[in-house]
Order: sequence, then C-alpha cells, then structure tokens
Amino acid sequence: MFRKVLVANRGEIALRVLNACRELGIRTVAVYSEADRNSLHVRFADEAICIGPPRASDSYLNVPAVISAAEIADVEAIHPGYGLLSENANFAEVCRASNIKFIGPPPEVTRLMGEKEKARQAMKKAKVPILPGSDGILTSAEEAREWAEKVGYPVILKAKAGGGGRGMRIVRDAEDLPNLFHAAFTEAANAFGNGELYMEKFIEQPRHIEFQVLADEHGSVASLFERECSIQRRHQKLIEEAPSLQITPKMREEVGRTLCKCMSEIGYQNAGTVEFLMDASHQLFFIEMNTRIQVEHPVTEAITGVDLVKAQLRIASGERLDAILPAKLEMRGHAIECRINAEHPVRFTPSAGKITAFNVPGGNGIRVDTALYAEGVIPPYYDSLIAKLIAHGVDRAEAMAKMERALNQFIVQGIDTSISLHEEIFQDAGFRAGDFDTGYMERFLAARAEAEKQPA
Amino acid sequence: MKQQDIEDLRQLIEFLKSHGVAEFDVDRGDLKIRLKFNPQEGAAAGLSDLARLLQTAPQSVAQAAAVTLAGSVSSGAAAEPAANAEAGLHMVKSPIVGTFYGSPSPGAAAFVAPGDHVEKGQVIGIIEAMKLMNEIESDVAGEVVKCLVSNGQAIEFGQPLFSIRTA
Repeated sequence: MFRKVLVANRGEIALRVLNACRELGIRTVAVYSEADRNSLHVRFADEAICIGPPRASDSYLNVPAVISAAEIADVEAIHPGYGLLSENANFAEVCRASNIKFIGPPPEVTRLMGEKEKARQAMKKAKVPILPGSDGILTSAEEAREWAEKVGYPVILKAKAGGGGRGMRIVRDAEDLPNLFHAAFTEAANAFGNGELYMEKFIEQPRHIEFQVLADEHGSVASLFERECSIQRRHQKLIEEAPSLQITPKMREEVGRTLCKCMSEIGYQNAGTVEFLMDASHQLFFIEMNTRIQVEHPVTEAITGVDLVKAQLRIASGERLDAILPAKLEMRGHAIECRINAEHPVRFTPSAGKITAFNVPGGNGIRVDTALYAEGVIPPYYDSLIAKLIAHGVDRAEAMAKMERALNQFIVQGIDTSISLHEEIFQDAGFRAGDFDTGYMERFLAARAEAEKQPA
Repeated sequence: MKQQDIEDLRQLIEFLKSHGVAEFDVDRGDLKIRLKFNPQEGAAAGLSDLARLLQTAPQSVAQAAAVTLAGSVSSGAAAEPAANAEAGLHMVKSPIVGTFYGSPSPGAAAFVAPGDHVEKGQVIGIIEAMKLMNEIESDVAGEVVKCLVSNGQAIEFGQPLFSIRTA
C-alpha cells in the first residue's frame, strides 16, 4: 500500500479521497489554490501545499505545479478525483515519466476512450451495442438517405465541426431528409465554416443508464451494476439512483458480462463508468466511457457495500480484485443521491458567498458528502456542487422517504441552494413512479413555470 | 490542553526558535503536534498566533488533538504583517512550487546576502521544479533585508522568499 498520496483535486471529492487514504493508513497531501486556503480538504490533510492563484487553470489544472508539489512532498501516487486532471492523458503520462503512480487507467486507455469515434469502434469490436450511425462524413443527401434506411428513423444529422446544437437536424421521415440535410449543411457551413455532416440514430426520450466497472492490474474486471441518471438539467445530473428500475436481472447480467470482457480487451485498469442511452424499447446504446471515479459513486457504494475509492487505491497499489471485492457481488436495497448546488432553486443563478448556518441531516441510511461548514465561504471560481445527499433504503419507496426527510432537515443559510428544488421533485408523481427520461427536468421546469403564472 | 501542557509547549517553542529549527513534528498517539516556523515572524507574533490556536483546541489530550500550524502560520504571515520590523518591507514571493536554492550551484556563493542592493529583475535565487532550474528575479529594486527560506527548502506558491527594503 502507498505510504503517501497526493490528492489533485478540491472540494468534496478531495475530502472523500483523503478520508479513504486516512482509513487505509496512507499519509495525505492536499494541494490548494489561494481561494481554498480555508478548505476542509486542506485542514484535514497531513500536509498541504499552495499551488497557485484562485483560477483553476493556474492552480488545479496547472500540471507543473501539481507535479512539483508531488515531488517536494515525496509522494508515491496521485489521485486525480473527478473533473480537473482526472481524464487528462498528458497528465497521466507526466506522472508516469516522473515516477509517480497515477491512480486510474494507463494513459493510452484514457486517450482511447477520450476520442469518441475510437471509443465507439473499440466498443463495437467488443460487441457492446453502440448508437448506430454513419461511418464518417455523408457526402450527399442520397448517401444520407441510404444510411438512414440502415440506421432506422428517427435519425439526427450532426455537424462534424459543430456544437451548441447548431448544424443539427432531427429527421423522422425519409421525405424530409433532403431538405433537412441541406438546411443542416448550410447552417453548419455558416456557423463553423465547415458543413460536413454525419448521422446517428436519434433516441426519443432516452434514459441515461451507466455501469460501474473495476479492473485490477492483473487482468480481472468486475461490473458493479448500474446507475440511473436521467434527471438532468442541461446535461448536468441532478439526481442519480442505483439500481435502475429499467434494468432486469437478465440485462444486468448480460451487460455486465459483455463489459467485463470489453474492459479486459482494451486493457482497462482501475475504476471506470460506461454510459448508455436506453430507448423506448429498453435497448441500450453505448455513448461514452468516463475513465475515473464519478460524482455519483456513493449510490453504488450503498447498494454493493464496496468502497470504490479504497478499491481504486488498493488496485493502484497492486492488489488483486478478488482480495478487494466479496466473492459474490450482490445488490442490497435502493439508493438515491441528490446533488445540492449553490444556486437559486428557480432561477439557477450561482450563489457564492459565506454560509451562516449549515445543519447537515443524519440518521439511519443517510450519507452526506460535503466539504462545506458553517462560516465557510464558497469561492466563485469553481463548480457549484456543495454537497451530495445520499439515502439508502430497503427499497425505492424507503429511500425516497428517507431522502424527503433528510432534505427537509438540511438547512443552509447565507447562500441559495437547490435543496427546495429537490424537495419539489420528490413530491412529483412522475418522479415517484420512476416515470422519467432525460427530458424530465425540462418538462418539470416548464410545468412549474406555467403553474406560477396561474393566479393563486 | 492542560495548563502544564501549554507551558511545556511554550518552552518547547522557545527552544526550537532559539535553535533556528524550521519544522518540528511529534506524533505520540495521544498527541500530535506539527510546528512550522516562518522565519520572518518575530517571536512575539508567532507565540500569540499559537496561544490563540491553543485556546480553541479540544480540552482532552486523549482526543489526539492535532495542533496543525503549518498552514495557518506560514500563510497567516503572508496575509497579516507580523512584527513592526517587517512593516513597510516588500516580500518577494514564489511564483511556483518547488525547491529553493540560494546559490547557482552547490558550494558557490549565494546570489544575494542581507545588506546587498538589488535591481528589479536581478536574479536572487533559484526554484527547482520538475528538474528545471527556474531563476527567481526580484520584482523591485532595494536592499535585501532577509532571506526567509533556507537552502533546499520545499516552497509553495506565494510563499515569501526575501524581504526587501525599497528606497
């Protein structure tokens, strides 16, 4: 096991990693920007090194500063957390060149999964179902039509050089294709200087379901079941659950087996999450893989009893998966996580500033991961996640009851938070019935806006 | 902490400071203390910071209270001007993380010594980061009052390296 580990992150995940290290007897080194001087992760680390001014690009994303800190503190390994440098293959390579163990997959694998088209091909080769699409650029409307027949309507035309929804057209009927193709092409050419388009199958009202995997450095891979993450606003997850109500035991077993084989083939190591979209007929399609620990990992920890961050540390120090995981992985109960953000619950404007009151709920089956405290100040330079509230119950109904109770007792004053938004969602019949897809939040917020217009 | 413990700690600190010790660590199971002295601090300022922190520490030593001063002493010093002697002096702070060296090579003469006049842009030290030697330039012209760090010391971003009296 490592003697000393540096945590190249901040906020709640830095504290999470420090906690795991502490419990394993590993000495911890925190790095921080000047804005995070009074952070909990700095306070509770054995050593702390200031690495730069507030802006992330000058501090947490500053590779030379992080590596230099690792060298002067004489650490053996770096845990990158999530976000920041966690999926930066160059950073992983610099770690390797500096003789510091990067806690995650090898840089080559990170790079492979980071290139969307290559990742798709690697998955396809391993028989993981991928979103059907054209093999590259469409040279004409006729070629587009041929692909659309193969892929099956509805399809979406996307600009190769694009982003922000521009140069995209959803095509539901063959007869609309030529017009929409030209419209998309023109829009893309005007917006990006390049009108080239490719095609993907378009999934109406998809659900976002992801699978957690762990792989050791000796060739063993395990799947730790799935998470349901369809409650999103602008592609940011708000609520996650494990398991998903949509995955049958048979699907779980099949996907798990296929993924283990695939991860083995690509030489994956450490923790990772494979993301899928599920269509109305319950078919799963691979969209991308995240080669790091995820924000929502606690729901998987709750239902499996496996500490994923400790598993990461143990895997990176050379331990075998069969020493880390129980002989038979089983799911127990149902877990839900709410991401509490420092933002107005209706306007979603970010709220930085000093917290004047902070009462964190507790009790049976409630976990709160946070790096904040009363008198703590939220700096304006980083993301707005302030706490993760996780409820674990014997089934989904109990998990929801616990979550409602806990949300009600989570008091934060001095800043705006999304706690009341979560409370409203948990009252909603659709959510309670598990009846949602990635369009849920948009519909929910629209309905709420409508309701507010009605006279009281 | 018990009164006797505080008194013992006070004596320990005096002893360490008078012998120019920069860092001191003790982990005795029931008690963990880490002291890091910022050389620029006058003795009075250092002890008053300490006394303030000791008052807020948990009562029972058995709770293995960790009196961690490293972050607060060295960074507090950067934020608040300490003893009067330091007032009005310009601090040259480290722009990077690394290891400080006071001379161009081992055994060579130091770049600057207290009392030397330096120009803006003059090299006054080196910080090694990732095997690269980065020259540290003075950002002001003036007289070097004190070198605040020692040869081979680990340096964090923003750490004061030299105090300089500008004209």
